[in-house]
Amino acid sequence: MNSHAIECEGLSRSFGTRPAVSDLTFSVPRGSVFGFLGPNGAGKTTTVRMMVGMLKPSAGTIRVLGLDPISQGESVRSHCGVMLDNVGLYDRLSAEKNLEFAARVARINVTERRQLVESALSRVDLWDRRQDRVSGFSKGMRQKLGLARALIGDPEMLILDEPTAGLDPSNIVMVRDLLISLAQESGRSIFLCTHLLAEAQRICDRVGIIQRGHLVAIGDPNSLNSQGLPTVRLTLSGGDPDQVGALSLPRGAQVSPLGGREWRAVIADPADIESIVAALVGAQIGVRAVIPEQVSLEEEYLRLVGGEENE
Amino acid sequence: MSDLTAMMWKEIAEFLGNRRFFLTFSVAVLAMGILPALTFANHQIPGMSSPLMAMIRSMYALFAAVVVVAQTAPDLVLHERVGHTLDYLLTTRLSDRAIFAAKVLVASMVGYCAAMVATGVQLVASGLLGGGGFHWLFLVPPIGRVVVFGFAAALSLYVAVIGTFVALRVGEQRAAYMLTLLSIGLLLVPFLAGWLHIQPTMYWMVRAALVFGAFTVALGLFGLSVFRRHMLVLYLQE
Repeated sequence: MNSHAIECEGLSRSFGTRPAVSDLTFSVPRGSVFGFLGPNGAGKTTTVRMMVGMLKPSAGTIRVLGLDPISQGESVRSHCGVMLDNVGLYDRLSAEKNLEFAARVARINVTERRQLVESALSRVDLWDRRQDRVSGFSKGMRQKLGLARALIGDPEMLILDEPTAGLDPSNIVMVRDLLISLAQESGRSIFLCTHLLAEAQRICDRVGIIQRGHLVAIGDPNSLNSQGLPTVRLTLSGGDPDQVGALSLPRGAQVSPLGGREWRAVIADPADIESIVAALVGAQIGVRAVIPEQVSLEEEYLRLVGGEENE
Repeated sequence: MSDLTAMMWKEIAEFLGNRRFFLTFSVAVLAMGILPALTFANHQIPGMSSPLMAMIRSMYALFAAVVVVAQTAPDLVLHERVGHTLDYLLTTRLSDRAIFAAKVLVASMVGYCAAMVATGVQLVASGLLGGGGFHWLFLVPPIGRVVVFGFAAALSLYVAVIGTFVALRVGEQRAAYMLTLLSIGLLLVPFLAGWLHIQPTMYWMVRAALVFGAFTVALGLFGLSVFRRHMLVLYLQE
């Protein structure tokens, strides 16, 4: 069995002359939660559509659960529970009927179908509203029902595009807890597109940031900026801060400005911090504080995508 | 097969929750049931014995089928497109054929039902208005039965296939409805151009029904073979 849930190699897709996704190369190990982050129009949804075989790549390859979504689309889709950014629920049907259709599509027999629908609706707190037509549901309820539908058939992999969009804080917590428990169940893989960076940091094993169709960062959400290396924040005083850039640093160490007298040092070995401090002092630059830090995903995301989020 | 039944189950469940569909269906069957009864109320006895009159009366049932299917078939696609449920369908394991066949079959079944109900209404209305009690009217001559049961099935299937394909390329309900009706008008071209003449004989009608039925089945199979799931969503055709 292939050890990767998703493998992309040079994946690209253009609409006319406009590239939507360019040269994406990444992999998602089976049983992990991968967060796919990026501003609106960055190419997240196009990538998801290529994963389920809705769109054919213009170049490159993609494999989902070891299968080609174009030539083996039916097999890929039968192993994946998908929730797109537009949830796409049948408004004229009740919540229960929506899930019953999903269960019929998943070829689940009648007795098991009822249990599955009940369990999925209960999981998202919609069991009491099962008989109501979906047309009367709020945005949050629709998101939850869409998530419940993706769970029908116990898929090996979940592909979720903005599952928390439109949810209030309490429902976000509910969905987050649900995703955590889903990830822990029988090694299910989850590919999660989201705007909620704090949630991604909490849920995901790895994240990738996409901007204008290009993957600009990938790694552990807690140390994305430093590729997993230790990081310290330096507060300097006195001397000429411009000299910092010219210092002779230990091998593998990097120092970058954060603004004012704040600097960030990424070091290959924790012992290197002593050499850096010695180098600073030697250059007549005062060191007021050295604080080990954990850069938030949000901070790193904003550094990478800049002000595009609100465009 | 299970894909097809799942899709058909969904389409029928959606119909049952669609008030606009029931309104269209009711208006069509009532209009096509009552109008001919009013028109032919004074010609009931001669009409029964005349094959041409029987054919003309039974054709009202076809109008009911055409009106209902021309509305329903595009709506089955367009309603899903507006609600983004087509995107969902494309993420499921459902085969291309199941999606297309379910939409065409359900639309044509609905049209056939409309033709049958309109026929029933027409029989009741004619019986009441004619004052001669309930009897089979135009269904007595075999030619009437051929038109009602044979042509109604073939025409419903024809309109359903055309209406579904029109909706794959047209994004607006009214435009899709008009284009579908136009496609039915194309069937009249050989007659209007004088290439063919309608002959109200049993032999001609049965042959015509068989030829048209074979043509619509071939059209449906052709549709099934050329249909691809990405056709459902317009932006995927870019």
